[in-house]
Amino acid sequence: MSTDDAWRPRLVARARLKFDPIAKQELILFPEAALALNETGAAIVRLCDGARSIDEIVDLLSKNYDNAERDALMREVMDFLDTIRARGLLQ
Amino acid sequence: MIEPPRPYTLVAELTYRCPLRCVYCSNPVDFHRSRTELSTDEWRRVFSEAAELGVVQLHLSGGEPVLRDDLVELIQHARACDLYTNLITGGTLLDEDKLRRFREAGLDHIQLSIQGAAREIAETIAGVRSHRKKLDVARLIREAGFPLTLNVVIHRLNIAEVPELIALASRLGADRLELANTQFYAWAAENRRALMPTREQYDRAEEIAREATAKYRGTLEIAFVQNDYLSGEPKPCMGGWGRSYMCINPTGEVMPCHAAAVIPGLRFDSVRDGALGKIWRDSPAMNAFRGDDWMMEPCASCARKEIDFGGCRCQAFMLAGNAAEADPICRLSPHHGIVESMRNSAADDPLIYRDTKASRELSKSIRSS
Repeated sequence: MSTDDAWRPRLVARARLKFDPIAKQELILFPEAALALNETGAAIVRLCDGARSIDEIVDLLSKNYDNAERDALMREVMDFLDTIRARGLLQ
Repeated sequence: MIEPPRPYTLVAELTYRCPLRCVYCSNPVDFHRSRTELSTDEWRRVFSEAAELGVVQLHLSGGEPVLRDDLVELIQHARACDLYTNLITGGTLLDEDKLRRFREAGLDHIQLSIQGAAREIAETIAGVRSHRKKLDVARLIREAGFPLTLNVVIHRLNIAEVPELIALASRLGADRLELANTQFYAWAAENRRALMPTREQYDRAEEIAREATAKYRGTLEIAFVQNDYLSGEPKPCMGGWGRSYMCINPTGEVMPCHAAAVIPGLRFDSVRDGALGKIWRDSPAMNAFRGDDWMMEPCASCARKEIDFGGCRCQAFMLAGNAAEADPICRLSPHHGIVESMRNSAADDPLIYRDTKASRELSKSIRSS
């Protein structure tokens, strides 16, 4: 995992979120394509405002979780963010 | 009848008019025959109907779309339909004031073409003085706050400039650089011998692009679009015919891609004659190669048929004489030998520039041949 502590993820300038009323899911739109997000993915990306750290994002998503559940979520969030970053959509 | 899939992308070719004369232009060779462009209201209706069908991405293209004096209104309407709106432009007609108005209207992104890194090469390709203006406009685009994709069509005359083009894109603050190897349709097909790079040139450019992709990761995204003849892989053209993509030309004809008019016998319906949803679903041209019932061998039994969809229908027609054949780019095509000979046919032919005069002459020779 390459995700670092100092990273405050946000969508790159050319990407934006849109709720798609047809498939009823969030899409990341960018010039070349669109990427459909599941509910968890959408919840994560909505919190990526360039100010919050990954720790803070996971805190917000895991309010009622125990430690083991929080660790599992942390891994999931980091994998997900790395994937979206590798697509060039997060910075 | 196959249940039509959902379209995601609309390319709106607002006009075929253009101040540039690029030798690789993708507009039809007989564009001079094109008549009355869709009106502002007609395009607005099209954007609304496209959004209802499921389209999320709109590319405002041409010709030079900035020649439309209703571009601000079209952008406003596209954004009112919540379409991700991208302007594909040669840039020479842009200035600070227009960019500010496009920004206020909600334009999401600009894709600016340049023709090379050195002015002399770039203007040999564009056929008019334009390079310095384009570089100035690239800066204005960034200053106006737009995300910027720099698009460079790559061919024998500029392929050695790939390192300089990457450096230029980085210096201009582009978000993305498309090193788009020439697709040999329309004007590029007329200039094929002059534009075809050698194997050595192509492999070297691909290697440089690959290294740069890693080096610039996170700051500049680099896309290397393959040259069909030299890659040896059929492309999954348009993600499959009539599956997710449609193109509407300046007079309103709805097509699966901008090149499809090259295939004889296809009838394109116009948005002037009916609703876009019905055309997408029912028009004979949109259905001609949907699904895979039309496939011949070796495609019909190929394990990759849902990966590359048999390649490009237009290229199959142009090279094999039948749009239902496998794209001859594929090694399994019985016509692959044509591709091998064309790949080795680079020559310093005189360039044919895309303008009305050449369009008239070439249309005449197409008719008489």
